[in-house]
Amino acid sequence: MTDVHAPQSQPESAAAEDEAARSFALDQTGTAEGGSGTTSPPPAANAGWLRWGWRQLTSMRTALVLLFLLALGSIPGSVLPQQGSDAGAVQQYYASHPSLAPLLNHLGLFNVFAAPWFAAIYLLLFASLVGCVVPRTFRLVGAARTPPPRAPRNLARLPHSSTYSSALPPDAAVAGAAAILGGQRFRLRRSESDAKDHWVSAEKGYLREVGNLLFHLSLLGVLLSIAAGGLFGYKADKLLVQGQSFSDTVSALDEFHPGRLVSGDDLAPFSVTLNNFTANYIDSGESRGQPSNFDASVSYTSSPGAKPGTYHIRINDPLSVDSLKVYLIGHGYAPEFKVTGADGKVAYEEATPFIPANTGTFESDGVVKVPDASLGFMGVFEPTAFSANGTLTSIFPAADAPAVSLIGYYGNLGMNDGVPQSVYQLDTSGMTKLSGSPHLLTPGQTWQLPNGKGSITFVGVKQWVSLAITYDPGQVPALVCGILALAGLLLSFFVRRRRVFVRAVPAASGAGSVVTVGGLTRSDASGGFEEEFAELAAEIASAEPGNNSELPGA
Amino acid sequence: MFKAKRRTVVTVTAAAAVLLGGALAATLLTSGSSTASATNMVEYQAGQRPLAPNLTGKSLTGTSLNLSSYRGKVVVLNFWGSWCSPCRDEAALFAGLSQQDAPKGVVFLGDDVGDTPANALAFTSSQRITYPSFNDPGYAVVAQISQVVPVHDTPTTVVIDKTGHVVGTIIGAATYSELTTLLRDAAVTQ
Amino acid sequence: MVNLGYAHTSNDFLIAALLIYSLAVIAFAGDYAFGRPKRAAALAKTAAVGAKALVTVGAADGTGISDSTDTSDTADSAGTSDSAAAGDAPAAAPRPQQPVGAFKAMWEAGPWVRSAVALSALGALAHLVAVITRGLAVDRAPWGNMYEFITALTCVAAIFFGYIVVRYRAWALGVFVMGAVVLALGLAETIIYTPAGPLVPALQSYWLSIHVTAMTLATGIFFVAAVLGIMYLVAERYRKRIAAGKAKPGNGLIDRIPSAAQLDKLTYRTVVFGFPVWTFGVIAGAIWADQAWGRYWGWDPVETWAFITWVIYAAYLHARATAGWRGARAHYIQLLGFASLITNMLVVQVFITGMHSYAGVN
Repeated sequence: MTDVHAPQSQPESAAAEDEAARSFALDQTGTAEGGSGTTSPPPAANAGWLRWGWRQLTSMRTALVLLFLLALGSIPGSVLPQQGSDAGAVQQYYASHPSLAPLLNHLGLFNVFAAPWFAAIYLLLFASLVGCVVPRTFRLVGAARTPPPRAPRNLARLPHSSTYSSALPPDAAVAGAAAILGGQRFRLRRSESDAKDHWVSAEKGYLREVGNLLFHLSLLGVLLSIAAGGLFGYKADKLLVQGQSFSDTVSALDEFHPGRLVSGDDLAPFSVTLNNFTANYIDSGESRGQPSNFDASVSYTSSPGAKPGTYHIRINDPLSVDSLKVYLIGHGYAPEFKVTGADGKVAYEEATPFIPANTGTFESDGVVKVPDASLGFMGVFEPTAFSANGTLTSIFPAADAPAVSLIGYYGNLGMNDGVPQSVYQLDTSGMTKLSGSPHLLTPGQTWQLPNGKGSITFVGVKQWVSLAITYDPGQVPALVCGILALAGLLLSFFVRRRRVFVRAVPAASGAGSVVTVGGLTRSDASGGFEEEFAELAAEIASAEPGNNSELPGA
Repeated sequence: MFKAKRRTVVTVTAAAAVLLGGALAATLLTSGSSTASATNMVEYQAGQRPLAPNLTGKSLTGTSLNLSSYRGKVVVLNFWGSWCSPCRDEAALFAGLSQQDAPKGVVFLGDDVGDTPANALAFTSSQRITYPSFNDPGYAVVAQISQVVPVHDTPTTVVIDKTGHVVGTIIGAATYSELTTLLRDAAVTQ
Repeated sequence: MVNLGYAHTSNDFLIAALLIYSLAVIAFAGDYAFGRPKRAAALAKTAAVGAKALVTVGAADGTGISDSTDTSDTADSAGTSDSAAAGDAPAAAPRPQQPVGAFKAMWEAGPWVRSAVALSALGALAHLVAVITRGLAVDRAPWGNMYEFITALTCVAAIFFGYIVVRYRAWALGVFVMGAVVLALGLAETIIYTPAGPLVPALQSYWLSIHVTAMTLATGIFFVAAVLGIMYLVAERYRKRIAAGKAKPGNGLIDRIPSAAQLDKLTYRTVVFGFPVWTFGVIAGAIWADQAWGRYWGWDPVETWAFITWVIYAAYLHARATAGWRGARAHYIQLLGFASLITNMLVVQVFITGMHSYAGVN
């Protein structure tokens, strides 16, 4: 990156033409030297302060420091639980580190990537980026419009050079060389037609800088796309039991995270029904118990009254409805219970989602709340139940031998005071336990509750899936910018800016001329200019009649 | 000379735009999203009431329900679920008012969301709610009315006047004063 | 279904590769101890006769990497002072010899180099067979868990190193690069080993072939760059000690590795090669994440560390263009980048729970 006030690199005076060659090669390092933010003492006047500050901001050293800070600042975001991805884990952290957690929260460490200090780092970095890219764009445009410099007098001093004799007079020899170089898409500059010395200057490789600028600007584009997605997009979650359906409306969703400029009214009016969910597990061999396949068979309508469609949502295969996508994120078991109250009437009948506690065996925990019979149950569901030494576990994730173990409570569930409760948690503070030890049920069995409080029947097992619905208008632009960034990167690494000069002087013997070809390149990241130069020189030489063996230089 | 000055201006402007724009977007994106309005009652003035769509569905007992069949009466439409604590909190109010205001030409309707009929009927039975409710486990009716007025929470109560236009909505557990305010204003039609 | 026959073949070939690589490392070391002094002595003799044979393109050299663009860069990397290092190519050589083919040069370098390179090639072949048969055993791209990932990336590193040996005559680096490969493979075989098995549904996607392949390639390339970077730091420290008069240039082990300047350039070129591949891998990962998880970037710990690695390597590339940050400092940055990569692979994926925990290691 360069300073705004970097020196121009195209001196015109003949006396400096050798300098032109050398400064071309040094340009990369020379201006980097100038722009490295050598710590000059800040000047006294205000405008001078601004200029000093600006130079510091756009210097390479500042960019380096900011890059380090960006990397360093991301580390706590990966080590500490983050609010955005796992709010539950953040709660647990508070519980286990009661004195440390509030301090970390104050520093914004539980939401690092949305924290103001993190934003400050990448904003400064991008400001520095823009402050470097814009002047360089001007300079590129200027360089593209300026013809290549005059050929230096002594080409043999260049890093690559080659000399040969030609039977043609100097101007014809140079013209032939120019034709070849022009055919290779070099930009040319010829000596004046009336001058005594004949030379041609060729330059190529502007794409390198174009690629560099494209890369950096595309990063800015990625940032803008992410911002657009964050402002105008939304994410939502919904848990659906087999057989259930839902319409895409805010109250139906379990979680709804709208972008800042999105409201619930913007949701598309589609609906999805979960017809069936199948999960297959490997049942033998070393990978026994590992899932092999998930398939959520759904039907959906993109708007009320539209023709329904069907789809199989799999983990790497989301459903696209209009510009939304519906993903299969998780799954679990929903054992179905029927509860009758003390009066014998049915107070509850529903397949109740249980949350897996063990992702290998799918032992799951859940709660059944029957406020209208003043009953509550905490349950542990085992898909393939196995009892060893009195403890109940599951030995396989498929529901081959389901069983549920229940603890019953009677009393006030605390649901009448109007405070919303989690459907997965039972507040037993106002309740009494119905029996000392858990009661085990297999499908079809009923537990007659003590003291005539009612009964609970384990009817059967259904499965549930959790779906994620996302809308992100910044997604495609971000991808496009990412691909452009990659393209720019490749260009800037593998294209080299190089100059080739050809000079011809009349041969000492009078007939023909001695032609010298010289070339140099800016720092060549990928190598390979030597070969290119050798090929060019050979091609120029071989195109001319009567040339002698070359003396390849250095 | 001037060229260099102009370049500097452009560059500095661009960088400043990035900084300021970014800071603005960052604050927009990260400040806590408060979608809930300050008041939990939204009311529409007499000339600006949106027309409620014709909500149709089956009731909890299997009969057909149809909002337009109640044209000519004021309708209080309450979105509830048996799993919902605030719904239990307001249930007594609705049970009482529905009996009291029936002779005045006010009809109470419910929309039971995210429930099974068994659970819902246990609720209505224990809370002594006698008016019918849509059986809406998939929020289809909610989606229908959301096209006109936002129903983003459970419970939500929507009051519709005799011509089928929405007078107002109450978000969260309804209070007596809110309901009676809307009912009184429902009587004022154009 | 897992084809157990192929799975066993894969294991056998991997162990064979490990053994052959170990022998190659011994041969490279033997070249250090015995081969070089011989070559240096022979060179000294011919130099005394007044020949023009100094290190340029194609000479069967005894000291450095023969880099065909070496001399051109002395003009454009004006900051590096490599003249003090022993065995460097002078900027203006007299009439050079005819270029010698790479394989001929290897042959002429002596029996130790011949056996070392041959063993490395044989080992890489066995390694490749191991990777391929693993893929056949499980009927998918064989980089679905940590073990497979390490075996694949070390295979990439070994083959890439082979390319460097031929292109840049860099067999002097063999002890270090192949030694590191042996260590990594040993780790994979013992601690990280996972039997062949099908993939969990989340990984059943053609994106596995794209994203993980790119990350495997990039890691293999950065692996080589890291080894070169360590060698650079050693060579640079030695050069400084010579310049300060604290050590004498001589027959020490360090004297036999390529000069700091050459290593610096080679490392840079390697990182330049790997950085776009890593970038592509991250982009491909984002596209796959969008397919599988509903968002293309969620700051999942593994995603975050891939980002951190990317930023650090970007810092290395910037450092090389900044005064005062070239040389050793830049290499520290590059090694920090590789450390971040390793942390991502071995620590973050295994110990920090996130959506990206597919290591298969318990």
